[in-house]
Amino acid sequence: MTSVLEINGLRKTYRARGGPRRALDGFDMQVEAGQVHGFLGPNGSGKTTTLRTLLGLIRADGGRMRVLGEELPKALPKVVGQVGAIVESPQFFGSFTARDTLSLLCDAGNVPQARVDWALELVGLNERAKDRVKTYSLGMKQRLAVASALLKQPRLLILDEPANGLDPGGIREMREMMQRLSEGGMTVVLSSHILSEIQIICDNVTIISLGRRVAAGPVSEVLAAHSTGQVKVGLESVADLPTAAQLLLNAGISVQQQQDHLMVSGVDKPAAISRLLAERGLFVSELTPVGADLESVFLELTGTMPVPGQHRSVDDSVKVAQA
Amino acid sequence: MSLMRAERRRFLKRRMIIWTLVIFVGLLATIGTIVFFTTEKVTPEVRAAAQAQADRMYNQQMQEFQRMRARCEQSPSDEICQQGRFEEPQREWFPAESFMPATFNFRNDSEDFVVTWAILLAMFAFIIGASFVGAEWRSGAMMNLLTWRPKRMQVLGTKLMALLGSLTVFSVLSFGLWTAAMVGIASTHGTMERMTNGAWQSYGLTGLRGLGMILAFAALGFGLASIGRHIGLALGMALGVIILGQFGLMAVLFMARVPYPEIYLIPSHLQAWMEKRVVIQDPFAVVSPMDEVPTRILSFGDSGSIGLGVVAVVLAVAFYTMRRRDIAN
Repeated sequence: MTSVLEINGLRKTYRARGGPRRALDGFDMQVEAGQVHGFLGPNGSGKTTTLRTLLGLIRADGGRMRVLGEELPKALPKVVGQVGAIVESPQFFGSFTARDTLSLLCDAGNVPQARVDWALELVGLNERAKDRVKTYSLGMKQRLAVASALLKQPRLLILDEPANGLDPGGIREMREMMQRLSEGGMTVVLSSHILSEIQIICDNVTIISLGRRVAAGPVSEVLAAHSTGQVKVGLESVADLPTAAQLLLNAGISVQQQQDHLMVSGVDKPAAISRLLAERGLFVSELTPVGADLESVFLELTGTMPVPGQHRSVDDSVKVAQA
Repeated sequence: MSLMRAERRRFLKRRMIIWTLVIFVGLLATIGTIVFFTTEKVTPEVRAAAQAQADRMYNQQMQEFQRMRARCEQSPSDEICQQGRFEEPQREWFPAESFMPATFNFRNDSEDFVVTWAILLAMFAFIIGASFVGAEWRSGAMMNLLTWRPKRMQVLGTKLMALLGSLTVFSVLSFGLWTAAMVGIASTHGTMERMTNGAWQSYGLTGLRGLGMILAFAALGFGLASIGRHIGLALGMALGVIILGQFGLMAVLFMARVPYPEIYLIPSHLQAWMEKRVVIQDPFAVVSPMDEVPTRILSFGDSGSIGLGVVAVVLAVAFYTMRRRDIAN
């Protein structure tokens, strides 16, 4: 597979009143052609800085970036026509209509005006195209932003929180649209905090924390790598739980007794638990491998799991050691 | 060219710009209407009416004088008679010209109206220039545009060219209409006497200098708003310059008895630019009432060079910051 986007050792430090703040600290990322790639990270982790740097809005202090095989930022004017992007909240001139907004972008980017209606249709704004943007809801502005990114019919589509402000129907439409675009050969980089959506839509993910990559790869592999390997075990009689726990411990298996079930870990084949207990006349009513979801992996990797009674600062994330 | 087309379209679609220009045209129309209704062409009838009024006034004054003289002959001890405060009115004190209505003389008056046109449009051009780029920054539309056209210098330069080009077209059109209106008023309610080729040339050159001033103010507003990435910076700077830089500076200059204080004030330079020269006096060099007040000439070349320098510096900073600064919000 060819890389559409490659980032190596990207560094960016902001000068701030409280002293310099490292937004990107040797960040790496790789996106292959045709992927729908999730780009995840807590607030302040460097996601938007990465996207802005890619788009030439921010000057990097170091590192390398390549998009569609071209070195950035030098070749950005050459490849920008093939990169559609929305960064953060949708930003448009409120007094213009949606049609005017897209039409002006077409003129600015040498894109045929015929694409305006196509893009408006694609995001479901055709009937409101003549309304001023300031009358739009956040979700409608978000749709317009996506339409503006699609006008170029790009090879690489970068969307920062595209589902922000969308209603559930809109989120589903957005998901289906991205799947269609991906099937059509477009590579999509998707930054979002709706992790269940990312898990459904994306083939691959990159997780960033405090300016460094903490995990990357196919979603299934990232989940598997952080799976606990635990099995939930239920018995016909709750009264038998202590006896069963003792039996498993004696067999060298790690077990935790919960109120109405046991959590067993370190077992390759869950059937072995069933067999062991059945030999002593204890019959299991539930034997469920506990899988990890993207949200729990994200919270674990970034160290942003909420702790009751504690308030977390935006910078209280996990920082990985430099490779 | 596509970017230029987009920027020209953007300029014409901006409601604030359109409304600003409409208000400007409305102001000119108001001034023109006032001039139209307050001036009158000199006709034999008008002259005869003025002569009749002058005669009437002379006769009234003569009657009053004769009444007073009779009174003083009867009572020479009256205080007013003692003081001899009255004298016989003379016919030449009541010329018909004093009773003529105001007449718009294109040759004498038109340059004042060109200055009015230029100063009004320059003020509006400053606001338009600041708004054209400032609102783009504030709304985020500039950032959006840069994700399409990442060559920042080209984007800012094209915006500036679109602004100056559009304003040039509007200025020339409005100057033409304003001139036509003035000619119309002069022809129907005034006079076009002594409008020689030289007078027209001088009129045209004043208009050209006015156009230069309008474009300079537009570029200044554009540059300041671009540096601050907000229209507010340009308007704040303008207010600051007017309040502190002019009133405050004037007070300081006069307190410090700086020679030729008016040479440091913007209105003197605007006047010099539009009227080709202005005589600046040094009030502090006068020791006794018999002394002649020393003067200096401020030419439009001097003022033009200073103005051009200021605009060049502001635009240079604007382009430098556009090139160097991150676009982080």
